[in-house]
Amino acid sequence: MFKLTEASGGYGALPALDGVSLRVGRGEIVALLGRNGSGKTTTFKYIMGLLTRYGGEVRVDGQAIAHAPEARARAGIGYVPQGRHVFARLSVAENIAAAAIAHGHDPRHAIDAGLALFPALVPRVRALAGQLSGGQQQMLAIARALAIRPRLLLLDEPTEGVQPSIVGELADSLRRLPAQGLSILIAEQDLDFALGLADSAYVLHRGAIERSTTAQQLRADTSALQELLGV
Amino acid sequence: MSSSPSSTPVASAPGRAPAAILRLPRWLPAPAATCALLLAVPWIEPYLANTIASWLIAGLLGLSLALVWGQMGFLSLGQTALYGLGGYAGSVLAINLAPGLGNPLLLAAPFGALVGALAAAGIGWVVFYGRLGQLQGTILTYTCTLILWTASVSLNAGIGRARVGGDNGMSDIPGFVAGLGLDAPPMTPNQTLACVLVVCALVYLGCRWLMASSFGRVVQGIRHSAEKTELLGYDTRRFQLVLFAVSGAIAGLAGTLYAAWGAYISPSIFSAQEALLVPIYVLAGGIGSLAGAFLGAVLVGALSFWLGGGAAGGQATLILGLCLIALVLFAPRGLAGMAGSIARGLARQRMPSAVNASALQHASVNAEGLARIASAGPPRGRVAFDATALIKRFGGIVPVNAVSRSFAEGRAAALIGPNGAGKSSFLRCCSGQYRLDGGTITIDGRDVTRWPLFRRVQAGAGIKTQAPLVYAELSVHENLWIAAHRVARDARQAAVAADEALAAMGLQAVARLPAGSLPHGGRQWLDIAMVLIQRPRIVFLDEPAAGMSGEERRALARLLATLGSTLAVVVVEHDMEFVKQLGGHVSVLHQGQLFAEGSIDALRADERVLDIYLGRNAHVQAH
Amino acid sequence: MDWNYLLQALVLALTSAAILLIATLGLGVVFGLMGVVNLAHGEFIMFGAYTALTATQHGVPFWLACVLAAAFTGVFGAAVERLLIARLYGRLLDTMLVTWGIGLVMYQCAVLLFGTVTPGIGMPLGSVRIGGGVVSSYLLVLVVIAAGLSVALYLLLTRTGYGVLARAVVQDRTTAAALGIDARRLSCITFAIGSASAGLAGAVLLPVIPAAPNMGFALAIKGFLAVVAAGPAIVSGTVLSVLSLGSGSAMVASYGSRVLGDLLFFGATLLLLCRFPLGVTQGWRLKL
Repeated sequence: MFKLTEASGGYGALPALDGVSLRVGRGEIVALLGRNGSGKTTTFKYIMGLLTRYGGEVRVDGQAIAHAPEARARAGIGYVPQGRHVFARLSVAENIAAAAIAHGHDPRHAIDAGLALFPALVPRVRALAGQLSGGQQQMLAIARALAIRPRLLLLDEPTEGVQPSIVGELADSLRRLPAQGLSILIAEQDLDFALGLADSAYVLHRGAIERSTTAQQLRADTSALQELLGV
Repeated sequence: MSSSPSSTPVASAPGRAPAAILRLPRWLPAPAATCALLLAVPWIEPYLANTIASWLIAGLLGLSLALVWGQMGFLSLGQTALYGLGGYAGSVLAINLAPGLGNPLLLAAPFGALVGALAAAGIGWVVFYGRLGQLQGTILTYTCTLILWTASVSLNAGIGRARVGGDNGMSDIPGFVAGLGLDAPPMTPNQTLACVLVVCALVYLGCRWLMASSFGRVVQGIRHSAEKTELLGYDTRRFQLVLFAVSGAIAGLAGTLYAAWGAYISPSIFSAQEALLVPIYVLAGGIGSLAGAFLGAVLVGALSFWLGGGAAGGQATLILGLCLIALVLFAPRGLAGMAGSIARGLARQRMPSAVNASALQHASVNAEGLARIASAGPPRGRVAFDATALIKRFGGIVPVNAVSRSFAEGRAAALIGPNGAGKSSFLRCCSGQYRLDGGTITIDGRDVTRWPLFRRVQAGAGIKTQAPLVYAELSVHENLWIAAHRVARDARQAAVAADEALAAMGLQAVARLPAGSLPHGGRQWLDIAMVLIQRPRIVFLDEPAAGMSGEERRALARLLATLGSTLAVVVVEHDMEFVKQLGGHVSVLHQGQLFAEGSIDALRADERVLDIYLGRNAHVQAH
Repeated sequence: MDWNYLLQALVLALTSAAILLIATLGLGVVFGLMGVVNLAHGEFIMFGAYTALTATQHGVPFWLACVLAAAFTGVFGAAVERLLIARLYGRLLDTMLVTWGIGLVMYQCAVLLFGTVTPGIGMPLGSVRIGGGVVSSYLLVLVVIAAGLSVALYLLLTRTGYGVLARAVVQDRTTAAALGIDARRLSCITFAIGSASAGLAGAVLLPVIPAAPNMGFALAIKGFLAVVAAGPAIVSGTVLSVLSLGSGSAMVASYGSRVLGDLLFFGATLLLLCRFPLGVTQGWRLKL
């Protein structure tokens, strides 16, 4: 359903990605792993058209999509950036509504769906997003991205800055999504979280794919884990 | 490689400025032009000479704005306020001195300049020491102009023999006089023009000299990046204030000359329309150029003259408006800038483009050389840096949650941890880039928690930010010079230190190229060198190895390990190889708190650390 | 204590503040949602005034003329944004200078087209007695209009899709783009709204301030200062600063002189800027 081919790009003249290719099937959850600085966030930025493109392309259901964030969003790619980037001076409801309205969907419906997925947000639905805790902001950011009714959800480090107790809830909620036909590409440093959700995984190193494997294989190979990602 | 001067690639001429067609000394054009114009003065028709004098005075006003806007980056809409204040003050003095003094203008002019400088210092103190934002600062100066406009219209008072007549203005102001005695005759229009021309030339040359001096070079640094200049330990506010005061002096002087020229001054000098004319002078001439202000003022004056009516009325207004729009949209560097581009185009100068990494491949960094530079000077003794229970909040997020740590010389200290652990945030709390929400920091027992950033740097803290921060448009050598100057005795010693650092980094070949054309790794080294050249006692480095090649990383690790014995070194890094090579004491941060400490080998074996890195925790269900 | 005079002064203060508020709201919206300082705002007000004047001279009823003025000015504003302002995204000072240039051009065109002497239109609706003096009812209507306009803009920005999207964009343009929000189209709409509001102000204020090429200038200066001092809370901040500064200076004008009133306005702005470098409402938790 989603194919990234030979993506090369960087920040202006500074190269950051070197021929990254990956694919995500319909209803699949795929993990993108790697140390800090390996290029996970950069890959996501490329997919969303936020990086200077040197080469490569993005295809959704076989269709090539223009390299611009609005086009990628309209093609059905929902983005949950690292650090969440919620609209701080908008309420929780307005954050979700903004995304829905931009795509012509009913905001009320999107808000209800978001609250159903993350009941913890219900008591804070009128609060300004900047006042939420890290975990609540993460939930909001996911609900917001889902409001555009994406085909692929990009999650960049969803557990960063989130308390361990909330991480479990997040995992539960995310696990329910593929049932609706949604695919997820998740970049994570928290291996258990990522491998507990994903079917397959790519490992990035210095802006290029070093290995692609199934989640099961990776979990079994602890020495490889240690070498690729550990201290 | 061709050997003709007009097409020599810049990179192969170490230390030389790009060749021009004619090798003119840089200070020559202005005096030459002045002399040429002076020779032409007697031939100009008196009425025209009178008018041109007023254009030149307007040019002086424009120069005052070009100084603060073009050279320092502050758009002041209060130049006419200073102009008017100087004009009124100088004229009051002149009128009062007239009975006893043959040439009152000789005293009135400096007095007007003084008043302008003092007023500017007052406004500047509020804007720069009050840390007003860019827009707020501009609006503040505009408000001052409006206040003066409103007040002067209704101010009717006598000061000695002078009468400030409110809306009617002040008249009978003594003008330009040829001679010193009481019987000296008034100057003819042509003599007045010559006099004004000389004054303008002198002030212009003074400004050029100021901007070429050490003071001016630091001001340029402030324009390119006020943040970087403060990180180098300069009290940027002081530089800004002084330059603004100089600008005020020039505006005040111009105001006094204007009042003397017309023998009359009125509140319309403070009007909003006049205030907004000054940026047009500067833009038309080119914002980066000091001489351009005169060019712009002459052009605008000539345009109004030709179209009839004053600059603030008639068809001239329409054309001015259209020109302003066109200038901002299409020629942001003004006519002087366009002329410069054409001249460069004619000389077929190639502007240096991004330097190919291979051109620097043979440049290897001499870690020992850099270490020597950083440790030079008298021995510093022990340094004790203590951070206690630091807390930093952003809305509902707490990236640093009561972390305490001490740093001293002896072994390099590394801060590691998974993403979002708060490593960079903690470093910024320690360095002073973040204001704390809780906790204290002491250096050698002194409480520096509330100290502004530049004071901490002056106390011996060196800070290398996460993204390398250099003056991208200034040359590599100039970058190092500005860093070295703060701790050097004079400009020459700073230049020598900069040369040494260049040699240690192997960057002599690109000394004159803009720092922005260096590849990422090169810029990292430049940033590190700029920090070390100031001989800090404790250095904070945020991901210094990012973007470097394997060999460069090894060199950097060697450098930091060596330095660790004489200064306190604190490094935030992700690259475990690098941390191992550093061989120092490692602290692991997790979710804003200190999680574990020890040597890297001990931590590798620690199961809890592996847990947080590999995320092995019971909170995730089996798949 | 002359209570009658005090009452009259209060009423005058309120109506002055209302006039300033009507003129300033559009400026606040554009500044708050686009970060653009529109120095031609006064000339946009003048544009609306002349449009309404011309319409009434052709027999159009006054209230309809006001609507037409708003519409025409809004369209004109959208064109200006498309052609000029959109090219200068992010260049705050450059935008200020370009809008000043636009203002100069508009001013001069008005002088050429209409000359400097213009017929006024009479004050409609008669007058009422307040506190021993006579106050024109129309001024009281203006207070109502000011309140209505504030409420309308608040609702526009909080209850409509456009409002939510525009506020999202000004907070985080990149993330908004990644969610598919088209910032360029929104900017155009915002500027059109600000311009329409200015046009409406010019038309509605015709009975009070006769149309002249420079009529908007003095209003715009004060409005502009009030908006910058107000800070990021677009509607509540602007209302607060205009009401306090505007009525404060009007009170001083009643008891002292107009000049003193103006001086108070400028002086208070100066102090506010020093004390609150990013605007008075910077730390507020209000939505808008």
